[in-house]
Amino acid sequence: MTRLAAIALVAAAPAFASCAAAGAQALRPLHVTALSMRADRMRIDVGAVFHLAIHAHVREHVAALDELVIPDVGTMQLLGDERSVTHAGGETDVVETLTLEPVKSGAYTFRPAYLDAIDARTGRPSRFSSNAVRVVVVAPVASAAERYGALARLGGEVLLALLACVAVVLAAIGALRLRRARARARADVAPAAPPPAAAAPAPARAPRDEVAEALRAYRLSPAEPALRRLRASLFTAAGTNGGSTLGDALAATTDRELRIALIAAERAAFGPPADRDEASRELAGATEAWLR
Amino acid sequence: MSRPRDVLDALHATIVGQNEVCEALVLGLIAGGHVLLEGAPGVAKTLACRALAAAVGGAFRRVQFTPDLLPSDIVGTRVFDQKSGEFTTVLGPLFANVVLADEINRAPAKVQSALLEGMQERRATIGPRTYDLPAPFVVMATMNPYDSDGTYPLPHAQLDRFLAKVVVTYPTREEERAIVDRFGAGEPPLPANVASVEDVLRWQDDARRVYVDAALRDYAVELVRATRGAELVAHGASPRAALALVQLGRARAYLDERAFATPDDVRDVAPAVLRHRLSWDDRIALDGADPEAIVRGIVASVPAP
Repeated sequence: MTRLAAIALVAAAPAFASCAAAGAQALRPLHVTALSMRADRMRIDVGAVFHLAIHAHVREHVAALDELVIPDVGTMQLLGDERSVTHAGGETDVVETLTLEPVKSGAYTFRPAYLDAIDARTGRPSRFSSNAVRVVVVAPVASAAERYGALARLGGEVLLALLACVAVVLAAIGALRLRRARARARADVAPAAPPPAAAAPAPARAPRDEVAEALRAYRLSPAEPALRRLRASLFTAAGTNGGSTLGDALAATTDRELRIALIAAERAAFGPPADRDEASRELAGATEAWLR
Repeated sequence: MSRPRDVLDALHATIVGQNEVCEALVLGLIAGGHVLLEGAPGVAKTLACRALAAAVGGAFRRVQFTPDLLPSDIVGTRVFDQKSGEFTTVLGPLFANVVLADEINRAPAKVQSALLEGMQERRATIGPRTYDLPAPFVVMATMNPYDSDGTYPLPHAQLDRFLAKVVVTYPTREEERAIVDRFGAGEPPLPANVASVEDVLRWQDDARRVYVDAALRDYAVELVRATRGAELVAHGASPRAALALVQLGRARAYLDERAFATPDDVRDVAPAVLRHRLSWDDRIALDGADPEAIVRGIVASVPAP
């Protein structure tokens, strides 16, 4: 049994235990308006990483939704499990994202996630279930030509790496000799230079930078791919991800300038072709205003 | 000239809460489609339809469906006039702009068929002659999910004729309190003639010109395709559902006074378009799953463009 299966059982255990011990009285009354599950990829190579997201929306303001039971993931390896709870207008969205790695090929159906609660609309204990999700895991197959090509590429890369190592060693020896010669020539001995600091990892690009970059690209070529990129970057800046709608993005941000830019992006993306030029100018202006 | 928003405001002035019901009725009017309301008795299904008919003006007829109803009771009949010695035609209540079919599942299949044929063809045949129904022509049907004894469930193919189905829920505590305040001393007057029949025809014409981008049409198709093969769904929605999504999405954009539809328009109307078009696997009863949650899950599983 994988770690996730164990986690699922641990997560489910309180729900089962409470059901058994106290029956329906232990359940909370909730207006469950959405419970869904989706994978970001439906066809995955063995060893590739994908995400399974479970989204629940309740009309109540709740700090946590411990009733949510995630499905067993079979033989898949759990690499991460993140649960986020957001509130808007007195309602709650819970998104649990599992990062998974399949280890063997074949079709796999995740059973529906579910939560047990008193349905606040009917007052009866109910089990709310999400949809099931089916993914296909395929073993990466390489053709003979690809295998030979990969071997040749590997050989070339090894050779290049060796040459690079030799060049680095030669350069270091040369630099050392030059430094010694300079030191001898000087009357006073300079203090040893501190060792170079380890290169800091490149920081993740901030949403604002991505919007600025996308706007530059859009100004250069206001075609559909650039528009899609700019709109997506604005959605990310608002705190939503791909697949969200303008309504989701507007609900996620209170930044007035950003909201104006989001609305302009919607008009540019879905407005009538005759209005596209004007909408495009409006989008660029609104985005620039937000960036300022 | 009135706007659809005026009618919606008039409905809100009469009905406490029930935003989804009020909006669905106005959207049905704009899209020229029929709306099915399902809910327990006393949750303002009939009142909402009456308020809509009063706000729009035009002819309104209400038919209480019962097991002994005959097709001629709704379509009309031919009567022999003894004075003239000829048959004359008496048009039934179907010949109205807004028809309220109350408790539609209480009439036998023959009567339901007569109504649904009129809904689809927008004409009715009485004796040897076929008559066009007036324009606009919108049927608002109600159904009670309880008391299923003595009812005739609507077949899947007939449910598909309804553009949207709205589940009318019980009001919240605050809304129920407001209902007692507003209706405690009798029913307040319904909104009268907020818009005219001509206004409605103009809205329907304008709404047909609302721009729907190709990406949105793809989205509508993906939503419908996602219902086929979904867990616990025996039969998914038909291509008519994709057309309904676009049609109702256009109406929603028009209600918001936009000349183009957005993904929100399509996504928000999707549950109303899809919920009555799915038939469920028998396991749904065993699993105790909530069909409404499954529909919303299917909608949420399709990424918006």
